[in-house]
Amino acid sequence: MTSVPLRALGWPQIKPIPLAVAGVLAAILPLVLNSSYWVGVCTLALIWMVLNQSWNLVLGYSGIWNFGQLAIYAIGGYAAALVSLHTGLPWPIALVVGGFAATLVSLVLAIPSVRLRGIYVSLLTFGFSEVVRLLIIADKTGITGGTFGLSGFDGYGLQSMEPQARYRLIYWIALAFVIITLVAMYFIVRSPLGTGLMALRDNPSLAAARGVSPIKYQLVSFGISGFFAGIAGGLYAFTYGVVSPSLMGLGQMTLLVTMMVVGGLGTLTGPLIGTAIITLVQAELQNWPEIRLILLGLVLLAIVILMPRGVVPLLAGRMGRLNSWMSAGESQESKPSKTPTKT
Amino acid sequence: MNAILQTLVSTVVQGSILALISIGMTLVYGTLRVLNMAQGVMVMVGGFAAFTVVDRTGVSPWISIAVAAAVTFLLGVLTYYMAVKPLLGRPGVDFEMTAFITTFAVATIVQNIVLMIYGPRQKPFDPLWPGGFNITSEVSITYHSMIMAVVAVGALVALGLFLSRSRYGLAITAVAQNLDAARLMGIPARRVYVVTMGIAAALAGIAGVLLAPLYFVYPNAGDLPLLQALIVVIFAGLGSVKGTIYASYIIGFLSSAVAIFWSSAFALPVLYIVILVVLVVRPNGIAGKPQEARL
Repeated sequence: MTSVPLRALGWPQIKPIPLAVAGVLAAILPLVLNSSYWVGVCTLALIWMVLNQSWNLVLGYSGIWNFGQLAIYAIGGYAAALVSLHTGLPWPIALVVGGFAATLVSLVLAIPSVRLRGIYVSLLTFGFSEVVRLLIIADKTGITGGTFGLSGFDGYGLQSMEPQARYRLIYWIALAFVIITLVAMYFIVRSPLGTGLMALRDNPSLAAARGVSPIKYQLVSFGISGFFAGIAGGLYAFTYGVVSPSLMGLGQMTLLVTMMVVGGLGTLTGPLIGTAIITLVQAELQNWPEIRLILLGLVLLAIVILMPRGVVPLLAGRMGRLNSWMSAGESQESKPSKTPTKT
Repeated sequence: MNAILQTLVSTVVQGSILALISIGMTLVYGTLRVLNMAQGVMVMVGGFAAFTVVDRTGVSPWISIAVAAAVTFLLGVLTYYMAVKPLLGRPGVDFEMTAFITTFAVATIVQNIVLMIYGPRQKPFDPLWPGGFNITSEVSITYHSMIMAVVAVGALVALGLFLSRSRYGLAITAVAQNLDAARLMGIPARRVYVVTMGIAAALAGIAGVLLAPLYFVYPNAGDLPLLQALIVVIFAGLGSVKGTIYASYIIGFLSSAVAIFWSSAFALPVLYIVILVVLVVRPNGIAGKPQEARL
């Protein structure tokens, strides 16, 4: 009986077997794939999973319409790249520095955002990300490298390895961060913080009346989300050896929002599955770049209209119905045998 | 002195165009509670429609304004049927946010269809009236920028008369003011939505033709106008027509002043900081009302 209220609260349930299978499959994937192109595609997907997971905490779980995450992601990337370029620090420290830089920017963005409601937040954050992009493009001081981006830093420092082994190692590093992010998000969502955020999303007045401070909780969620977005940016920078303003922009935003909407906002597995699906579709359409974004827009439109909660909740709902149908059948079948004993 | 004069001229021209683009967003938000992210694309499509008509048939650019308005009107109506109508009155879904995402999706689709047809290159568009004159030895005004201001203000006045005098315009105003009361008076709200989306898009289309000689015609031509219009509507407070017009000229003044006295690269960031301060001090803009749930 105790598991029922938890499920009703919407807390994620651990399903150990599917998770372990998915983890093992993901880990051996680069050994199976022979082409370095596909390993590269999968690595990018993993980086996007970290980013989408972080975005989902604010957009999905907290219900704050933050469309500025790409700027925070890019700032994390730039910060990590600058640290790697100008200091001799090892890459994990550079990544963490990028993460903290992104956290700081995210908190600055959060201060006006949490005071606003609804559509104004999306306007503010969307404008913020565009302005960051335009500022970097207009930058003539040479710190960020302007339109062409920043390159020439060491990254992971694996240049001496042979290509295939290097691609695999980079893939596994990204995979490790996906797992770290997933575990972190799981504990955040299960914690009182996560419950408070969801309460604020679903019924702000009631939650505030019960002592959940909207500003405090949402600031924390912005901070955590910014940290992981910054890590994702650093991963991108070190994987490709370049960060440029093309990390942001309308096209990128469409892509990532589509991933989250397809997977399902406000679920832990949604961003992962959505990212996997859309990356695969995108990679398949590589040869027809002109219809890629058109198709992406159509998919986004169709998903929002046809299944606004995304694929994962839809499937989870179907599974739940199947389970309850099975258990209902069980109790019905067992009833006749029990009733005679009672009477 | 010259710089100040230049700023004033630029303010009038920019402010009028901004008003033309952002009034459509305000109108749509006021009636439907949809923040139309496809408005920037309408500016771009207006430019392309005019370019195509002039390029293929060689008619006067003046006629192309009407064509652009018609094309964008239809596209606005299509946007309504594709992106907004399926979401209306659906339970359990945050209407404003989903509509934000769907109009955004429409913008992506339209932009990339145009990109596929015309390619990414910038296409030149002749001024509606070439030439210009000098006020002082250093400050010159092109006839085209005068036309921009005159046509934009003319369109705004026509819109004002339409909204306050005509049958359909009054219906739009009524729905924007109070949806339930308007419905009780027998106004078909959903048809009003269609007309509103069409008119908003047509206004952006006209602005697109006026902007075309300045910024060329290319598939990303709508990005900057969208960003500026977003700043204007936040500053004004969504849904307020009067506030939008004031805000357009204030934002037009600020961006021309920054561009002339400092650098045009910093115009948007400076505006953005202004907006940030406005939003922190007055979370609903200069004329906006506190938001309430609707639909």
